[in-house]
Amino acid sequence: MRRGWLFVTTLERPSTDLVDRVVERLRGVLRPDQILTSKTDRYNRARVPAPFPVHRWRERVPDLAVLPETTEEVAAVVSIANELRCPVVPRDGGTGLTDGAVPLHGGIVVDVKRMNRIHELDLENRTVTVGTGINMLKLNEQLAKHGLIYPDDPASYPCSLVGGRIGTSGWSLIGSRYGHTRDLVLSFDFVLPTGEILHVGDGAGGKISKSSSGYQLKHLFMGHQGTLGIATKATLKLYPKPEAELSPFWAFDDYDAAYRFTGALARAGVATFAGAVLFDEYKVAYLRRDDEAYIPQPADVRALTCAVLYGWEDEVRVGGKRLFRIAKEHGARYLGDEISEGDWAARHDRYATPLHGRTKAGQVVPMSWHCEDAAVNYTDVPAVTKAWHEIVADLRRKTDVFDDWGMFAYTSADTGVDYLTEIDVGIWEQRLDDAAWAMWVKAKRDIAAAALAHGGSISACHGSCREGEVDLVPRELGRGFDVMLGVKRMLDPNNIMNPGKYLLDLAYQGDVSAQLAELRGPS
Amino acid sequence: MTQTEPDMRPDALQKPFTPGAPSNDPELESYPETVSGPVPLELTDRRTAEFVEEWRNASYNCYSSGHKFCREVCPVMQVTRNESWTPTAFHANVVAMEKGELEIADIAEDYVNCTQCGACELRCPNTLFTGDFYKFRTRTVDVVKAVRALAVESGVHQPNWQTWNERTNDRTHEPVLGETEISQENVRNWAEGLDIPIGGDTVLFVDCEAAFYRTAVPRAVAQILQKAGYEFGLMGEQWCCGGPAAEMGYVDQAKRFARHNLDNWRSTGTKRLLVLDPHDYISFTEDYPKYFGAEFDIEVVLVVEVLADLLAQGKLTPTVPVDRTITYHDPCRLNKRKGIWEEPRQILRAIPGLTFHDVDRVTQWSYCSGGGGGLPVEKPELTAAISEKRLGHAAELGVDTLVSACPWSERPLSEAGDAKDIDVIDIHELFAESLGITVGGSRGTVGDKRCGGGGCGGGGCS
Repeated sequence: MRRGWLFVTTLERPSTDLVDRVVERLRGVLRPDQILTSKTDRYNRARVPAPFPVHRWRERVPDLAVLPETTEEVAAVVSIANELRCPVVPRDGGTGLTDGAVPLHGGIVVDVKRMNRIHELDLENRTVTVGTGINMLKLNEQLAKHGLIYPDDPASYPCSLVGGRIGTSGWSLIGSRYGHTRDLVLSFDFVLPTGEILHVGDGAGGKISKSSSGYQLKHLFMGHQGTLGIATKATLKLYPKPEAELSPFWAFDDYDAAYRFTGALARAGVATFAGAVLFDEYKVAYLRRDDEAYIPQPADVRALTCAVLYGWEDEVRVGGKRLFRIAKEHGARYLGDEISEGDWAARHDRYATPLHGRTKAGQVVPMSWHCEDAAVNYTDVPAVTKAWHEIVADLRRKTDVFDDWGMFAYTSADTGVDYLTEIDVGIWEQRLDDAAWAMWVKAKRDIAAAALAHGGSISACHGSCREGEVDLVPRELGRGFDVMLGVKRMLDPNNIMNPGKYLLDLAYQGDVSAQLAELRGPS
Repeated sequence: MTQTEPDMRPDALQKPFTPGAPSNDPELESYPETVSGPVPLELTDRRTAEFVEEWRNASYNCYSSGHKFCREVCPVMQVTRNESWTPTAFHANVVAMEKGELEIADIAEDYVNCTQCGACELRCPNTLFTGDFYKFRTRTVDVVKAVRALAVESGVHQPNWQTWNERTNDRTHEPVLGETEISQENVRNWAEGLDIPIGGDTVLFVDCEAAFYRTAVPRAVAQILQKAGYEFGLMGEQWCCGGPAAEMGYVDQAKRFARHNLDNWRSTGTKRLLVLDPHDYISFTEDYPKYFGAEFDIEVVLVVEVLADLLAQGKLTPTVPVDRTITYHDPCRLNKRKGIWEEPRQILRAIPGLTFHDVDRVTQWSYCSGGGGGLPVEKPELTAAISEKRLGHAAELGVDTLVSACPWSERPLSEAGDAKDIDVIDIHELFAESLGITVGGSRGTVGDKRCGGGGCGGGGCS
């Protein structure tokens, strides 16, 4: 199959004349300080932490950005854009690891960060209604006064925003206990590509957590990477702030033993179990060589498992006992309270990774961290792990621009059915050129293909709309992708909402069955 | 099966390894590099080229992270929610300059929006991860200062900063009283009646804001030191420390002022500098050593640390109860930039009668008065909004008084406090009151709201 022939980023952008007319009209609905047109305003809304072709920054720059403060203002902006046929790109935290918030055709970036108010806190029904520009950590600072927590906990917890979590259908590190964004967001206000305002949830929405009335539309408007519209105000489910945290770390001689143990923990059915993380041998080797926060372990420690439990102290205590019993049966070596608490704080509370890697010969070089993810069933995790390391090894055979920083596998659910599997790749972005970028795009496609080949999904948490992997989405979703095209065409008749993403431009090209067949490849 | 078992043609890349380890397979060195990398751009502007050369890697450390943990602790970001004015943007712009995408004229104005509080540096994952062990710290404040300096050198001025620094240059002091004339003639007026000698081994340096506007602060400091029998004098001819000029990018002026001050200390045989203002403390401990290298051998001592020490030694014992419910505002330059947070709390805990609702120093990383880094000169509305937010946090604690330890924070905080009926007082003023000292001086035009108890004893307190 010819690869990537469909996904050529075109450079068609709104003409200067159109941009002028858009700005002119926006002045009728927004204050001057809400309309940003300077170069820095635009350059700083062109990228996200996803792998970024620095050498092609200019192509991703929007024509202007707006800072609306209400749902009505968002709707007014989108109406104007729709009428004048100007692309709109929703931007929340801009912390995503796919590039939903990166403009591919210029246009207006709708930056919702000013919509960060807490509209209503309902202590009786345990909900909070917020502007989608609010950050979870800041929200939890307010909720803590009431002994409550909104437990949506991504790596970007201190900086990502509720709206971005909706737009990407985010994954939470403690989702095995509390669910993920789709479970925690009850309902939201949403501006459609025509500028109409929709309230969506289960049935009537609002504070209802389960309804059987009508189509279940909530999921449709989550995880679309900004291609269907903009969430502006959301009602969220709240929990008691956990009294106790237990985060034991165990060491193993090899990956297989750690893998078997991780599965046993996840299958144990302990109610306070919020997640388990498996560190593979490459990850431990990487931490040992390059992570300043790594607490040295004996050389025979080659793989690690950690688990985390949250809840009331009495229930965490008994749940923990059960996990330690399983650990004993598996010959797991407990690293002790101090290292466990310290390491969990380093990985979770501080969340970071060293921003340097090495060439094969050992020279330390500045690298950015990139994480490729997939959703994979437990039984397929080892095979995917092996395949992915081979893909990155192949990159390294060709160049020192890439470094293998190892893999994590995280439980996604409370039963251990599937795992967020991630490989961390160091990229020496200062050295990126077209050749290196092409290698990277191919590697991403191969990484996605490996996940699909093992019955998985291209992404558990980031989204799958980036160059490379996106070519495989029609194969993954099958007939469902045709439904996506239909929905897109119906809701966004003029293709103004985040155009160029998810191959959705196909929705406007008539009969595309031949293209889709080629993308899907032989069945 | 373990992962280390190769199952195809043996290849050194098929197992985890530590690059550079002597035991590695020599094959690792034999792979040819196939990426040639981008052709570096020749920047035509010499100043920009030098700037980029100096700062590109520091900025790249941020750019390549992209985590933006700094964002929600940034005082400016909290009130503007504008991503163009975030620490991340301040670094990304440098990378864009390296690529020739942006020029100094494109970016200079954005860099006004920073109080140089340092919160972003502490919250940066790069700092958090390695700071404890290696004292590494992301350098956002330095990048902001460097961009502002590059702007000034390149003739790109912010109008109010330009005027401010011209006037500072004319008067040798910052024009903190607006149109009211200030000069060398009245820089020591605050000390009237206190009988403090000129020069000597130890000199008390009083910043412009305290010397001319909030004179109750230096009066309190001087009288507390006198009470403890601590010997000190005043400077022969004191000029502004030059710190604000350096913060706004007027580096040559800052250096000229520093030169004058150093020469003046030499002329009076001064070996030790007592500093009551956190901003001065940064100038003398960070800027002056950079300007003068080994030539700068003056010992710099922070007053609040001296007082905590005198308290611990029993040389000062507060006995007059102060009936206030307070919280303490950690000045950014003490807490976030210098890690000084313990000594002010030791002093406050020693004062009888106080009800102290403390907020820990880490929570206070995201607090600021907005009074630093020249922000109030160029964007007073942002300073006011940041102070209002800070007073909002204080109001939630049900306090009647916010105690600060930084004269530059006290004017905007007092203005915001007025609206919430919360008094803003300096820690030295409060300590002096508890030591039975009648301070005198002025707490500025908006302070002095709660002087009925006979506590503050200020001149402006009638």
